[in-house]
Amino acid sequence: MRDFNRVIRYLAYTLELLVLFMLQETPGLLPPIYGVRPVLLLPAVVAIALFEEEVPAMAFGILGGLFCDFGLGCGLGFHGAVLAILCFLISLQSRSIMQVNLATALLTGLWAIGLTICAQWFFLYYFKYSLPQYAFTHHYLPKFFYTLLFLPLLYYLNRGLYQAVRAQDR
Amino acid sequence: MKDFFKGSSLKVLIIAVVVLLGLAIYTATAGGTFIAGLLGLVSAPMQSIATDVTGGVTEFFDLESYSKEELKALVERLQQERSALAQQLVDYEDKKRENEQLKQQLQIAELEPENKMCSATVIGRDPNDVFAGFSIDQGSLSGVSVGDPVITGQGLVGVVSQVYATSSVVTCLLSEDLQVAAVSIDREESGVVTSSVITASSGLLRLNYLSSETKLEEGDIITTSGAGGSYPANIIIGQVQSVEKSENDISKYAVIKPYEDLAHVKDVQVIISFPGKGEEAPTLPVGGEDHAKEDGE
Repeated sequence: MRDFNRVIRYLAYTLELLVLFMLQETPGLLPPIYGVRPVLLLPAVVAIALFEEEVPAMAFGILGGLFCDFGLGCGLGFHGAVLAILCFLISLQSRSIMQVNLATALLTGLWAIGLTICAQWFFLYYFKYSLPQYAFTHHYLPKFFYTLLFLPLLYYLNRGLYQAVRAQDR
Repeated sequence: MKDFFKGSSLKVLIIAVVVLLGLAIYTATAGGTFIAGLLGLVSAPMQSIATDVTGGVTEFFDLESYSKEELKALVERLQQERSALAQQLVDYEDKKRENEQLKQQLQIAELEPENKMCSATVIGRDPNDVFAGFSIDQGSLSGVSVGDPVITGQGLVGVVSQVYATSSVVTCLLSEDLQVAAVSIDREESGVVTSSVITASSGLLRLNYLSSETKLEEGDIITTSGAGGSYPANIIIGQVQSVEKSENDISKYAVIKPYEDLAHVKDVQVIISFPGKGEEAPTLPVGGEDHAKEDGE
């Protein structure tokens, strides 16, 4: 029963990431602010990692990252690797250093999503295109704040999912 | 924490990261992979449905947002435009007829246009793409391949950069990755259309490498030249908005405003094949050499 509930939870996470990927990719669905749209997969994998153990957290980080890579059409694996490391560390942090609540989730999202977007800028933009400072202030920074807005919603969604399936487990 | 360093979790993480970095390097050099194809196969139909639903809802609300007066004004303006275009069409038909007669008199043969097209719908726009790239719902099964130009009725919008079985990723004309050989049909001056993050954010393009004595003016139409064989000739790109002095040398550049709103394209056509595709140098049409000789004589 315990394994069955875990499988159900993992399937729900997979479905959630797939749906969020479609939502973030659909043109005209999420209104652009300062010409940018949010990356919903980033707060989703952060929220999942807050509740799951290290290896499942890393696995969902990889899945979310592969979706990001696929959507961008860049080399498959960059976001996967970055989010694998970050989700692993977030899971470790939430299990050993701090309690999980909205405040710590926001704090975690702040550094984790910030690092991911900085890595995007550095590895995918800085060496390849012109005017990196302009791109950072006019594209990456607004995208970071816009993405962060969705963290509370996805935190409560994943907390509800985790608690519901874990309660059945008990 | 001690358990963490002794446990197997860290080893799993290291293996996963090494495999993913290997995959990233492999896909960056060799192109698409089985995993990317699989993700495309799963997500493309769902993205297509989501885009249709969103498009329908957006269209409904857009129409509702017009007031009666605004709709009246819009109809009036469109009727005026229609009258002006009808007059232009009469002139065009006259010119066309005259052109056909002259061709018959001079016995000029003409290559029939052989562009092979494939209609597609935009199903995705990635928020991580700085340059407004997008995904379309046609892939290799429809004959689409990497490097195929993508157009709309308003002109060139981009080039296919990744192809999966049922979907493709298109690099937008606003991207710094693209450089298009272009020409002004009015002034017969050529240059290279590029973009940067600043021009891309305002939906504009740059026509570089113009001479310091360029005669280009605001309103001149810029089209592809066909040089290099990457794009068919005479596809509209946009019109000149202003001509400025280059920051680095004495040359000038023109700011081009595309006719199409490149960041909000919905339906496109992929040019699967066209005459001269892949040829390094532009070719003269049949009869062009004879015509040139006649001009010389």
